Amino acid sequence: MMRFVLRRLLQMAPTVLGVIVVTFVLFNFVGGSPARMKLGDKASPQALEEFDEQRGYNKPLFWGSRAPTRALADTDFAQQAGAWGTLPGAAWQDGVLRVSAASTWAPPFAFPLRPDSAYTWSVRWRVAGESAWAQTELSVARGDAAGAVLREWVGGRELELASISLRRVMDRPWDSQFVFYLRQLARLDFGVSSSANVPVIDLLREGIGPTLALAFPILLLETALSIALGLWSAYFRGRWPDRVLVLGAVVLMSVNYLVWIVAGQYLLAYRLGWFPVWGFESWAYLALPICIGAFSGLGSGVRFYRTILLDELYREYVRTAHAKGLGRGRVLFVHVLRNAMVPIITQVVLSIPFLYTGSLLLESFFGIPGLGYLSVNAINDSDVDVVRAIVVLGSVLYLAANLLADLCYAWVDPRVKLS
Amino acid sequence: MKRLLQLGRAQPLAAVCLLIIACYAGLALFGELTYRWHEWRDTTPAYQQQDISRQYQPPSRDHWMGTDGLGRDVFLRLVQGTRIAFHVGIVTSCIAIPIGVLFGLLAGYFGGRIDDFIVWLYSTFAAIPGLLFILAIAMVAGKGLTGVYLGIGLTTWVGICRLVRAETMKHRERAYVQAARVLGFSAPRILARHILPNILHIVIVTFTLRFPASIGTEVFMSFLGLGVQGEPSWGLMLNSARTRLWQGVWWEMAFVTLAVFLLVLAFNVLGDRLRDALDPRLRDGGGPERN
Repeated sequence: MMRFVLRRLLQMAPTVLGVIVVTFVLFNFVGGSPARMKLGDKASPQALEEFDEQRGYNKPLFWGSRAPTRALADTDFAQQAGAWGTLPGAAWQDGVLRVSAASTWAPPFAFPLRPDSAYTWSVRWRVAGESAWAQTELSVARGDAAGAVLREWVGGRELELASISLRRVMDRPWDSQFVFYLRQLARLDFGVSSSANVPVIDLLREGIGPTLALAFPILLLETALSIALGLWSAYFRGRWPDRVLVLGAVVLMSVNYLVWIVAGQYLLAYRLGWFPVWGFESWAYLALPICIGAFSGLGSGVRFYRTILLDELYREYVRTAHAKGLGRGRVLFVHVLRNAMVPIITQVVLSIPFLYTGSLLLESFFGIPGLGYLSVNAINDSDVDVVRAIVVLGSVLYLAANLLADLCYAWVDPRVKLS
Repeated sequence: MKRLLQLGRAQPLAAVCLLIIACYAGLALFGELTYRWHEWRDTTPAYQQQDISRQYQPPSRDHWMGTDGLGRDVFLRLVQGTRIAFHVGIVTSCIAIPIGVLFGLLAGYFGGRIDDFIVWLYSTFAAIPGLLFILAIAMVAGKGLTGVYLGIGLTTWVGICRLVRAETMKHRERAYVQAARVLGFSAPRILARHILPNILHIVIVTFTLRFPASIGTEVFMSFLGLGVQGEPSWGLMLNSARTRLWQGVWWEMAFVTLAVFLLVLAFNVLGDRLRDALDPRLRDGGGPERN
C-alpha cells in the first residue's frame, strides 16, 4: 500500500512539473509584463521595477548572467531618441545621437541604479565623421548610481551613438525567474496579491472553507440524484420513464449554467422569497446555490450513470440475484451498485476539480467568499499571483483526486491489487 | 437532396436538428455579411442604433423581442450574436482539432519517446482545471475575441488527442497499415492517406459535441467581461439583461436564453446521434469537458 502510494507519487512528479512549467510559461513569458498588466501603461518605471522586484520578474527567465532593468529602456537611435532626446548637449538626427565634446552629462535614468548590483553598458558607436561602427561593453561597478563610467568613457570625445542598452549583471546565473518560482512553491509561498496586498496563501486559506461548504454538498447531492435517476432510467430501458429521462438529460445539459443561476436567483430567491438572495451568513444562504449547482450537473450525470449501469444490469449475477428471490431494491442498490462502483468512483473523484471551477459563477453570483469568487475578482483585476496559485492548486487537487481514486478501486473491488 | 430526404425519414430527430443548425448558420452568415457591409460603408448597423426614448419596450410589432436599455432592438442583436457564436465554435475547433489530431496520430503511430512526451503534455493540460485555465489564458492574451479563441482552443484538444491516439494504436497493427509499410510508404503518407480517413468519424463527432460547449464557454467569458467588446454577443446580452430582470424586463433574458438553448440542444442531439451511428464505442469519454 505504502509502496504503491509512493510509486504513484513518483509517477505524478512529471505532471506536477509540467503544470509548473505551463503556468510559468503562461504568466512569466507569454503574458508579457505582469507589472504592466496590473499597473497599466502609465505606471512609472520605478513602480514597475518595485513590482517586479517583489515577484522576481526582474531576473532572467531560466538562466542568464544579464537581466534587463527598467531604469533605462534599450534605445535604438535608428528609430527614436527615447529618453536620450532631452539630454543637454546631445542632438538626435538622421538616426544617430550626436554627443558633443563639450557636454558633461548623466544618462537619463528613470530612477537611480541599485547600489547592490553591477551593471553593464552596451554601446554601438563611432567617432563623429568616421564611417565604421564599433561595439563596446562597459562594466559599471557596484554603487555607481550616476552612470559615471559612461561619462568618463565619452570623455571629451565627439561621438555618434547608434544604440545603447543597460543590463544588470546577475551574480549567480541560476538566480532566475524559474528558480525563484520553484523556491516559492517549495516554501508554499504563492506570492503576494497585487490588489489586496496580502500573501496569496492567506486568501486561499480564507477561501477554502466557504468553497468546500458549497462544493461538497453539491457533489453529494448531484451524485446521489444522478445515480438514483440513472438507475431508474436503466431499469426501465426503452420504456417511457427511460425515454423521458434521456430526453430530459439532454435538455438539462443544453441549458447554460448561467441561466440556471440567474433564473434560480430571480424566481426562487427574489420573486418567491424562499431563499436569501445574496450573502454568506448562515447555512440558509448556501441552500439555493447548492440546489442550483447539483441540478445543473444532473443532465450529464444521469446520462453517464445510465450508461454504466446498463452495462451491469444485464450481467448474469443480476439474473441470479433475481432468480433467488431477492427484492428489486436489494438487487439494484446493493448488487448492481457495488459492482458499478469502479466507474462511479472514477466519475465522482474526477469531478472534484470541476466543482472547484463550477463554483466560480455560483460564488460570485451569491456572494460567497470562496475560491471561485476570489478567482473571478483576480481575473478582473489581472492579479497574476492569485490566478496562478489557484491554477496550480487546482491541478494538484486533480492529481491528488486521481491517486485517491486508485486507492478507492482497491477498496471497493477486491480484484484490484495495489502493486 | 435525395440523401437528405432519406435521412429525414430514417432519423427524423437528427434531420430536424440539422435543419435548426442550418438555420442558425444562415443567420450567422447573414450577420457576418451585415457586419462586413456596414464596416465597408462605415455606417452604423441597425442592431447598434440607439434610441433612448424607446428603451425597455416589451415585445411589440415594431420590435419582435422588445428593446434593451439603450433602445436597441433585441431581435436584431440576437441575430447578430449568432455571428460571434459561430466564430467561436469554428475558430476554436480550427485550433483544437488539428492540434489534437496531429498529436494523437504521432503518439499513436510512433509510440516510444514521442508517445511519452505527448502523453505527458496532455496529462499536464488535463490536470489544470478547464474553465480556470481558459480564463487565465484569456487574461494573459488580453480582453477580446482573441483571448476567447486561444483560451478555448488551446485547452480543449486533450479529449480528441486521447481518442485519436487510442484509435491510431489499434490501426497501426491492422493489415492495411502493415501492407502500406511493406510497400515502403513514408510515415507521413501512411498517417495522412491511410489512417486519418479511417479515424475521421472521431473528428466529426468531436466537432459536433465541442461546438455547443465552446459556445457555452464564450457566453460565460463575455459575461465575465473577458470576451467580445462592442459587438453584440449572447453573453454580453445575458449580462445586460440580468441586471434589469429584477425590474421585470424579462424579454431580453428569455429570448437570448431560448436562442442559446435551441442551438446547443440541436448540436447535442445531433452529436449523440452521430456518435451512435458512426462509432458506438465512443459513448462517454468522447464528449467535451463539462464546465
